[in-house]
Amino acid sequence: MPFIQHTDEDRAEMLKAIGAKSIDDLYVDIPADIRVKENGDKVKLNPSMGELEVTRHINALLAKTKNAGDYAFFRGAGIYNHHVSTLTDHIALYDGNFITAYTPYQPECSQGTLTSVFEFQSCITALTGFEVSNAGMYDGASALAEAVLMGYRLTADKFRKETRETVVLAGAVHPEYAATVKTYCETTGLKLVTVGAGKDGRVDEAALKAALTREAAVVAIQSPNFFGVIEDVESLVKQAHEAETTIVQVIAEAVSLSVLQTPAEAGVDICVGEGQSIGNHMFMGGPAFGFFASRKDFVRKMPGRIVSETTDRDGRRAFALALATREQHIRREKATSNICTNQALCALRALIQLAAWGKGGFIELGKQVVSKTQYARKTLGSIMGIELQHADSPVFNEFVIRTKPGLDPALQKQGIMGGLPLDVVEMGQPGDYLVAITEMTTREEIDRYAAALTELLHPNGHGGKE
Amino acid sequence: MSNLPENPADRLMFELSKPGRRCVTFPALDVPEVDVAVALKGAKLRSEPARLPEIGELDLVRHFKTLAGKNYSVDKNFYPLGSCTMKYNPKINVTLLAQQGYTKAHPYLPQADIQGHLELMYNLEHYLREVSGLDEVTLQPAAGAHGELTGVMCIKAYFESKGEGDQRTEFLIPSAAHGTNPATAAMAGFKAVTLKEAANGNIDIEELKKKVGPQTAGMMITNPSTLGILEPKMREIAEILHGVGAQLYMDGANMNAISGIVQPGDYGIDVMHFNLHKTFSVPHGGGGPGAGPIAVRKHLAPFLPTPRIKKNDDGSFAFDYDRPHTVGKVRSFFGNFGALVMAYIYMTQLGREGVRRMSQNAVLGANYIRVMLREYYHVHFDRTNAHEVVFTDLKQDKENGVHTLDIAKRLIDYGIHPMTVYFPLPQNTGGHGAMMVEPTETESKESIDYFIDCMKKIAQECKDNPELVKSAPHTTPVSKVDEKTASTNPQLYCPMCLA
Repeated sequence: MPFIQHTDEDRAEMLKAIGAKSIDDLYVDIPADIRVKENGDKVKLNPSMGELEVTRHINALLAKTKNAGDYAFFRGAGIYNHHVSTLTDHIALYDGNFITAYTPYQPECSQGTLTSVFEFQSCITALTGFEVSNAGMYDGASALAEAVLMGYRLTADKFRKETRETVVLAGAVHPEYAATVKTYCETTGLKLVTVGAGKDGRVDEAALKAALTREAAVVAIQSPNFFGVIEDVESLVKQAHEAETTIVQVIAEAVSLSVLQTPAEAGVDICVGEGQSIGNHMFMGGPAFGFFASRKDFVRKMPGRIVSETTDRDGRRAFALALATREQHIRREKATSNICTNQALCALRALIQLAAWGKGGFIELGKQVVSKTQYARKTLGSIMGIELQHADSPVFNEFVIRTKPGLDPALQKQGIMGGLPLDVVEMGQPGDYLVAITEMTTREEIDRYAAALTELLHPNGHGGKE
Repeated sequence: MSNLPENPADRLMFELSKPGRRCVTFPALDVPEVDVAVALKGAKLRSEPARLPEIGELDLVRHFKTLAGKNYSVDKNFYPLGSCTMKYNPKINVTLLAQQGYTKAHPYLPQADIQGHLELMYNLEHYLREVSGLDEVTLQPAAGAHGELTGVMCIKAYFESKGEGDQRTEFLIPSAAHGTNPATAAMAGFKAVTLKEAANGNIDIEELKKKVGPQTAGMMITNPSTLGILEPKMREIAEILHGVGAQLYMDGANMNAISGIVQPGDYGIDVMHFNLHKTFSVPHGGGGPGAGPIAVRKHLAPFLPTPRIKKNDDGSFAFDYDRPHTVGKVRSFFGNFGALVMAYIYMTQLGREGVRRMSQNAVLGANYIRVMLREYYHVHFDRTNAHEVVFTDLKQDKENGVHTLDIAKRLIDYGIHPMTVYFPLPQNTGGHGAMMVEPTETESKESIDYFIDCMKKIAQECKDNPELVKSAPHTTPVSKVDEKTASTNPQLYCPMCLA
């Protein structure tokens, strides 16, 4: 049998030592009438396959797919087609010492993982400006949901005599994140209020003000938001804090932290985000990881694992898991979260990628994305029949265009995967497309996309705006 | 401290950093370069670049290879960490996963472009339905605890749909359960009610009958339990719960003992989760990512997260978002798809017979360890066990003043990763520190015998030279780590990364 090394002789010796006649004797606690019979077909699985057969099978499945590499690719919306350094695969996938290790509960034989988590936390600190980062969450969506729960606890603890159980969520938060927050709120009994975006694509601040009643506990915003628009975070922080609520910022495109003001400097209380952009393959949306950062005073309210520097008995620097009294394996029903397994390997990938970019590379990456996005926005916006949305608002890597619906199939036939149709995710009207740019996007691809759109909109020529 | 020169590979990357060094370069910009401050007018920018390390490629590789050398891992070491199922992770999983068809699969590709991925998920759901004996599966939860939360949410939604939402406020949880169980129940808004086990480690049926009632939403049970023994009265437990209208949730953390041996659905359970990173060999990754799919009986299926995967009449596959009773989303997109691919490859290779052999050999190895070490260490329940066995330090504590943690650390010196220690909690193991050993089916008899020999040797050392054991480990890059200070005076980032 695959991956089992015991021979019949080994098995016989072990059974003899145990004093059992057969392995079946070891299952006496399972009633005989429901025990699956040897060579029976009750459990309907295929016969075993060897390496060659399973490779053929997987490749046959892959033959029924296409991927971002098959197109000039303009889709993002939370998962971005960045270049992933080969270093990440070599260290995180092919070197078994990280990928086949467990959670570093025994620090003496886990310094490799522990040191890398400490360096990861340090990188998240560098990116967000916060003193505390955990070792990672499942993804951006669940990180936001957990941040909302933490934000609620912070406010509720401060105002124990009041009932503050309303979560105020910006409407321009990624729909998958918003849906996740909704699920978590429903199950924990928190009330959810959504504040829409104004014409400029930013949080409607008057509506926010109205939503910030005395029941409000948490404000959750995304910046850059789902439409790509960079929010006025400082102004939103001011409003949230005036209403004595906790404010959470989620970031779907972590590369934006290369150029934008840090969440800590903007004054938010908790910053979370999706880390896929940094060193993680797209994999249909997972696994990547969520990052989670906050202020030092809030560390004991945070979910997830945290690594701290310490020393060994001989005074040498060492690292260890810290503050476990927040966690489920110690605190059980009083824990800050039920999270146990996280996405450590994906966080390691991010660490490798951030180091591979380095300080200089990360800022250059951010600038390239901004320049290419500006070029694409200008080029597409200059086509007659295409209207830029939120044209006066700043964007980092994504923007919305409004044009004729139904252009997608024709573009795909030409090898172009245009922006995401926003009606499909109920974030816009038919003909609204969210266009995403990375450093992978070339000028030639942008020009080809523009030419194809022009041709589709104006089959007889004259596509330029005067 | 020695006065050897300091090896730069032992420094943190931040300490290796020098302005101007880097690995990755970008192609020359092929569009006009813009001034970011002008282009992003109206947005606040960073006051200085993020203080990431600046490091050359060789030093980066050497840094991580040095760190790799400081980890124990399944590839290098016997890793009998109870409750974690540290089995071999076949290399083919990683190789097949690293193909562009997976790495560049975007979640918003049209469904016509992802038919092969949908088919894989559809097939994996089928595998898990068959192993569980339940009716429907969602692959979305990212980890075991996430699966628990999703399952408990479904139970909650089920009772709300029946108008019993306000009535069903409690979840029963055995005292030896994983901490995630009570944490999950609390997170979903239930009161976690602890059930004490009977003296033999099984569920105490009388205690259960006393605590169950119209207020009970459900019970979470781990089978085999965290004490490493199969629960003989599963069907009776299910009947008691169903008798008051409550649901039975099975924590599938220990499915490596019973996959292909019994379909848990036949016990009468209503919902369970799998830990694909335990049972079906998704690499643990130093803490994740895993995957925690759940399987449910029909009456809970309407509440599963969206989207579901369906097969159309023409044989094509599609996402189904039209589920009016769904609890909603528990994370973004479709789960940890990359992890699912690896579990699928593994299960496909095992097939029907392989899944059964997997559990049989896992249980065989754990029982063998119990009988071979029972004279040397106290076995908490010296009876036929499942895929793991719980010893305690009762003997060594009484006779030599040596404790579980000391024994665990001494194992490191022999090149073996410690077993799980102090879980189950001392209150569940007679007040003595637990040592939970799970060898898994992929270890050879030689490796298992080596572990047994080392444990015997350590038992002898406890008698002859207890200080040697208490001061272990002696061979690791760091000696015993001060974990207390890590929590009382935490330093959570390298000061060089922050202005």
